[in-house]
Amino acid sequence: MTFHRRTFIAAAAAFALPAKLAFAQLDKVYRVGLVFAGAPDTGILGPGMVSNFTKRGYVVGQNIVFERRAAQGKVDRLPELVDELVAAHVDVIITSGYPTALAAKQRAGETPVVVTNSGDPVATHLVESLAHPGGNITGVSEVATELSAKRLALLKEAVPSVHSVAVLWNADDLGMTLRYQAAETEAKRAGMLIVPLGVHAPDDFDTAFAEMTKTPPDAIMMVTDSLTILNRKRVMQYADEHRLPAIYEFASLVHDGGLMAYGPDIGEIYDRAAGLAGRILRGAKPGDLPLELPTRFQFAINLKTAKAIDLKIPESIILQADDVIE
Amino acid sequence: MSEPGDALRSPRPRRPLFQKYFLVLFAAVVVPLLVNGASEAWFGYRDQQTSLGQRLHVEAVSAGGKIRGFLEDITDQLQWTVQLPWVSGSEDQHRLDVLRLMRQVPAIVEITLVDGDDIERLHVSRVDPDVINSGIDRRADPAVQDARTAHVWYGPATFYQGSEPHMQIAVAGTRKANGVTIAVINLKLIWDVVSAIHVGRSGDAFVLDKAGRLVAHPDISLVLRGADDPAAGRLKSLLQAMTAGGGEFTAGRNAEDASVIAAMATIPGPNWAAFVEEPQAEAFAPIRASLWRTGFLLLAGALFAAGLGFLLARRMTGPIRVLERGAAQIGAGNFDHKIEISTGDELQRLAQRFNEMAAGLAESRERSERIARLKQFLSPQVAEIVEGSDREALLDSHRTEVVVLFCDLRGFTSFAGAAEPDAVMGLLQEYYEALGVIITRYEATLTCFMADGLMLLLNAPVPCPDPAERGLRMALDMQASVQGMIAGWRARGHAIGFGVGLAKGPATVGRIGYEGRSDYTAIGNVVNLAARMCAAAEDGQVLIDAVAAAEIGDAFGLISLGTRTLRGFSEPVPVFSVAPQEDSAAPADLLLVAKPVLGD
Repeated sequence: MTFHRRTFIAAAAAFALPAKLAFAQLDKVYRVGLVFAGAPDTGILGPGMVSNFTKRGYVVGQNIVFERRAAQGKVDRLPELVDELVAAHVDVIITSGYPTALAAKQRAGETPVVVTNSGDPVATHLVESLAHPGGNITGVSEVATELSAKRLALLKEAVPSVHSVAVLWNADDLGMTLRYQAAETEAKRAGMLIVPLGVHAPDDFDTAFAEMTKTPPDAIMMVTDSLTILNRKRVMQYADEHRLPAIYEFASLVHDGGLMAYGPDIGEIYDRAAGLAGRILRGAKPGDLPLELPTRFQFAINLKTAKAIDLKIPESIILQADDVIE
Repeated sequence: MSEPGDALRSPRPRRPLFQKYFLVLFAAVVVPLLVNGASEAWFGYRDQQTSLGQRLHVEAVSAGGKIRGFLEDITDQLQWTVQLPWVSGSEDQHRLDVLRLMRQVPAIVEITLVDGDDIERLHVSRVDPDVINSGIDRRADPAVQDARTAHVWYGPATFYQGSEPHMQIAVAGTRKANGVTIAVINLKLIWDVVSAIHVGRSGDAFVLDKAGRLVAHPDISLVLRGADDPAAGRLKSLLQAMTAGGGEFTAGRNAEDASVIAAMATIPGPNWAAFVEEPQAEAFAPIRASLWRTGFLLLAGALFAAGLGFLLARRMTGPIRVLERGAAQIGAGNFDHKIEISTGDELQRLAQRFNEMAAGLAESRERSERIARLKQFLSPQVAEIVEGSDREALLDSHRTEVVVLFCDLRGFTSFAGAAEPDAVMGLLQEYYEALGVIITRYEATLTCFMADGLMLLLNAPVPCPDPAERGLRMALDMQASVQGMIAGWRARGHAIGFGVGLAKGPATVGRIGYEGRSDYTAIGNVVNLAARMCAAAEDGQVLIDAVAAAEIGDAFGLISLGTRTLRGFSEPVPVFSVAPQEDSAAPADLLLVAKPVLGD
C-alpha cells in the first residue's frame, strides 16, 4: 500500500504542480520590463520586485529576464525608455510613478502594462475604472490622494503646534499634484496653512529651500515620487538643519533619516504588481484584471531624527506606528 | 467437421444444438452477472453520490466555519471597544483602544464609535484623518439600531468604486451607555482564508453574499471585477440552483466557466453562502472509476461465460455429432463402423446401443443374403430349414439316395423359332409360374433349368419321407397343370406337349459354382436316367424307373411299359408309367423332338 500511496501522491503532485506553476513552460523565457523615473536599483528596480517573481517560482536567467530602465530624474526620457523595452520584446512592462505610467500607456502599444505608485489611475484617466481597466493597463492603485489629508493630520498630532506646512511635490506629475490638492483641502478644513512648493527639476529644490528659509514653515510634507526621492537627502538635511518636522509617504524614507512616513505598504504593492504581471505572463489580458488597492498601510517614525530636532513624540503617535526606529 | 466418407451429410440445422446450449449456458452465467453488476453499479453510484454530497457538504460547512471564524475574530476584537461606558473626556482613551485594535486587525479600514445616546463620538480611519466628537446623530443608522437589538450586526457587502469589497460590522455593548462600534472591514483580506481552502485535488472555495455577489474568491480579480462580470452571473446561478434544488450539492459552471460540483453552507450573521467547488471530472472520478470497474468485471464475466458456454456446449454436442456421423455410416450400410464415445454418460450408452444395432443389422443382412442364395434352388420352406440348421451343413457334399425329376415341353424349340419373342417369353412365364407353385408345394430342390427344361431333386438336401411317391405326385400335378395350359396353347395353334421323367438312386449332392454364384446339384447315374426317361416320355406321360416304381408300389396303379433302350445305357432299361386316366391322343411325332441331355 505504501508504494501505491506514494505513486498516487506523486501523481497527484504531478497534476497539481502545473496548476500552481502554470507558467512552467520552462523553455519559454519571459521578459519583464521595469521602468522607473528615479535612480537605478531603487524603487521597482531594486531587489524587492525581483524577489516577488522568484518567490512565485521563476528563476532569473532561466525562465525570466528583467529589462531595467531608469530615467534618473529625467522624466522626458521615459517615452524613449518605454520604446526601448518594447524594442526588447518584453512580455510585460511594470512602471512606477504616474509619468512612467503615462509614457507606457502612450508608447507601449500592444505590450501589457502594470502600473504602480501612480496615484489614483482612475482620477488621472490612466484606466477607465478599477473593476474594468480596459485597454492594456492594469496595476495597483493607491489611496494616495486621500492619504495626504491623513498625513497632515498625523503631522498635526505629532506636533500639535504645527500650523503652516510646506508641501514639496513634483508639479509635473498629475498624480502628485492631486495629492497636493488633497492636502490643501484638508488644511483648509483643519484651519492650517499650506505653503505650496511645487518642483519640476532637481534645481527647483534650491528655490524651494530658499522659499522656506525666507518664510519658515512649521513642518514639511514631501509628496513622494521619483523626483523627490532623488532629492530626499537634501530635503532631510534641510529639515534637520532647520529643525523642521517632516512627513513622507513611504517607510523607506524614514529608514533613510526622515522623521515620519505614512502610506501604503510598498512591499505589498510590488507583490501585487508582480502577481498581476505573472497572470499576464500566463495569458491573462490586462484589461480584464481589475486594479487592486493596497490593503496594508505603514506608519513609520524615526525617534533618532525626532531626538535630533528635539521633538517629543506623543504616545498616541508611537502607538499607531508600525515601524519605530530608535 | 465432416469426414470425406460422410456420404449422408445432412444440411446444417436451422437452430443447431450447439447454438442453443451455448446461448443457454452463456445466459446462465451472464444474466445473473449483469443483474448483479447493474444493481451494484446503481447502488454504488448512489452511495458514491451520497458520499460525494456528504463530503462536499462537510467541506462547505468547514469552509463556512473558517469564514465565520474570520468574521468572529473581528467581532470579538470589536467587543473590546464597547466594554466601558462613554463619559466626557474618555474620547482619548477610547481612541487609544481603537488604534491598538486597528494595529491588531489589519482588515479594519475604519472604526466609528457611537455613545449611549447614538451620537458619533469617534471616527478612526486608516485613510482619512481621525475625527473626534463629530456629534453626528447616528440614531437612524441601521447599524446602530440593529446592533443594539442583536448585539452584532453585519451590514451588506459594499463595493468601493464597484470593485473593492467592504462590509460594516457593528457591535453593541451590554449596556446602552457603552455605545456601539461600527467598523468597516476590507473583505479582500478574507482572501488569506479562502485561498487556503482546498477541496479535493483542485477544488476550492468562494463566498457569495445574500444578493449572490462574489465576496471572496481565491482569484481576487474575480471579486474586484464587480457584479456585471459574466463570472459573477455564473456564480449567482449556482447559488440559485443550490437554493432551488435543496440538495447537498449541485452541478454547474464556476467562475472560470468550468463544469463543477458545488456545495453550499450558509454563514449565519452576514447571511453569506460559503461555496466549495470541485471540477466535475474530479468529483465524479470515483463514480466513474467504479463504473469502469463494474463494466470491466461484466466484460470479463461475459468473456468467461462465453468461453465456458463454448466448452460445455462443445462437450455436449461433440458426442452427438459423433453419433450423427455414426448413424449416417450405419445408414449407408457400413455396419463395421464403430461409434467411439467415452463420455461415461447416457451418450456413451447410446453409442453402445448404436454399435449393437449395427452388429445386429450386419448379422441380419448376412442371414437374409444367405437365405436369398438358398432360395435360388431351395423352396422357401426348405431354405429356412437349411438356413436355420447348423451352418448349412446340409448343403455339404455327400452321397445319398435321391429322387431326380426331369420335365420339359415338346415342340417348344420349333415354336420358339417361329413365334414372336413376346409370345415365347409369355408362354414360358405362364409355364414356370405354374410349375413354381407346385415345386414349392412339394418342397423340391431346383437344381437347374434351361429354356423349357427343369431338373428337380427330392430327399436332398433335406430328406423327406417317401421321396419317390412324393416325386410322382408332384409329376402328376405338374402334368395336370401344364396339360391345362397346353389345351389353351393348342387352341392358339401351338403344337406343344409336356413330358416328365423320374428316377431314384444314389447320387453325390452338394454345391458347385464360385463365390456369389453357386448352385446345388446332384451327380450320378440316376440323373442321366431321369433325363433319358424325360426324353423318352410322350406328351402327358410320366416315365418312372424301376427303383422308384418299386418304392411307390401299387399306390398309383403303375404299369410297366417294358424296357426301353436309352442313350448312354448299354442295357435296356425297364420303364414304368402311371396308367392313363383318360385317352390322350398325343401325336407320336411330338415325341421325336430332340432334347438336351441334362446333368451330363
